[in-house]
Amino acid sequence: MHHLILPSGLHNLSQLRAGDLLELSGTVAAARDAAHRLMTETGIIPFDIKTIPVFYTGPTPAPPGMASGSCGPTTSSRMEPFIPEMLQRGMKLVIGKGNMSETTRELFQKYQAVYLAAPGGAGALSATKAVSREVIAWEHLGPEAVSLIKFHRLPVFVAWDLHGGSIYRISGRGK
Amino acid sequence: MKTGIRSIQGRTITDAVAEIYIQACTVPDPLVEKLLRNALDMEQEGPGMKALLIELENLKVAGETSLPICQDTGTAVVFAEIGNLVCIEDGPLAHFVNLGIEKACETAYLRPSQVYPPLSTRKNTGKNAPAVLYIQQVKGSGLKFSVLAKGAGCENVSRSEMLPPLAGEDGVMNLAEQCVKGGASRACPPVILGIGIGGTLETSGILAKKALLREPGERNQDEELAILETGITERLNRSGIGAQGFGGKTTVLETRIIQLPCHMASLPVTVCVECHVHRTASCTI
Repeated sequence: MHHLILPSGLHNLSQLRAGDLLELSGTVAAARDAAHRLMTETGIIPFDIKTIPVFYTGPTPAPPGMASGSCGPTTSSRMEPFIPEMLQRGMKLVIGKGNMSETTRELFQKYQAVYLAAPGGAGALSATKAVSREVIAWEHLGPEAVSLIKFHRLPVFVAWDLHGGSIYRISGRGK
Repeated sequence: MKTGIRSIQGRTITDAVAEIYIQACTVPDPLVEKLLRNALDMEQEGPGMKALLIELENLKVAGETSLPICQDTGTAVVFAEIGNLVCIEDGPLAHFVNLGIEKACETAYLRPSQVYPPLSTRKNTGKNAPAVLYIQQVKGSGLKFSVLAKGAGCENVSRSEMLPPLAGEDGVMNLAEQCVKGGASRACPPVILGIGIGGTLETSGILAKKALLREPGERNQDEELAILETGITERLNRSGIGAQGFGGKTTVLETRIIQLPCHMASLPVTVCVECHVHRTASCTI
């Protein structure tokens, strides 16, 4: 299985193909609905969006002895209104779940960004792959605060690659 | 004079609701796991099959760690069946149910996901309350709770429609198809469909939720509905959407239908889409 190590792996995104199952290691920024509203309203992105992927997730509180609580992906399509601005500001990698519109897929390709799909519902498994988690902005948002999560070997699928490929229209359709 | 009235303390209700909500969120249901294993057995090599394997691994990890199976620990949907002889002397049922959901959220590290007011600040209420509570009075002195931790990803692709009264089975089938083909990849498939038919607008929605409480693998007692359920499941599985939308033979694990009478000019139908982790639990006090 391919091991995508961040941030160095961001230079080799063209190797990824839709449908690949990867293990991702490195730091990602957890941000979802409320954080996206604030980021676009204030213009402040409280992390380096060019080197740190955005993970659409709102974890459960960490139980004692764990870096993070359950932290699977939330539905990416809700973030679509914010995606053009985030891509313009340099976002290269997104982790979420579920298909998005063809318009958004074309934008990803235009900005040479890759969409990774973490298996939805697999929150407990993801938590065991988290090494650390630190809230960095808007703590009052509770589970929607922006945090940096460092993962070791988080399983993710390549949903959209740089070459127009999409996991949502490959093998198995119509069978 | 012996009245047969049974008094139940509010605290007993709070503790019971907390316990089953924690169970629903953190202990995988072996019957759901069995449905996923059956789907895996039929699957072909590919990303969809790999996704099923990860979904099953996640259930195993949750079982071993007591972590919530999914980080979306849901809107707490609670069905209460209260015996006509039951008296809760120290307050209304909803109060103690909400305290139970708050207790579950705090003690089991569940995620508070409720926000208010919905249109403006959407501030988190902090403890995942209030629950959505449906109360039904039944005969006797028992008090039964069934909970459903309902994730929003799958809820968001659900639909209620007032269909033309003569739309029949095709109308229901088409509505289910719209939900699944329109948004299954966002609902963490393979999904379970709860379908409510009849009553008025809101009744069909409640029936659809209630249908989700049926035990996985159990056949509908109504033979006509059982055939329709299988028909819907099989038709939607021909879509090839598969686990996580990555392609595969199983998009819908099961369909469950409940129906009630409705007005001669109406056909209210709700298709409630439920994710593959399907978190339910129940208890009787």
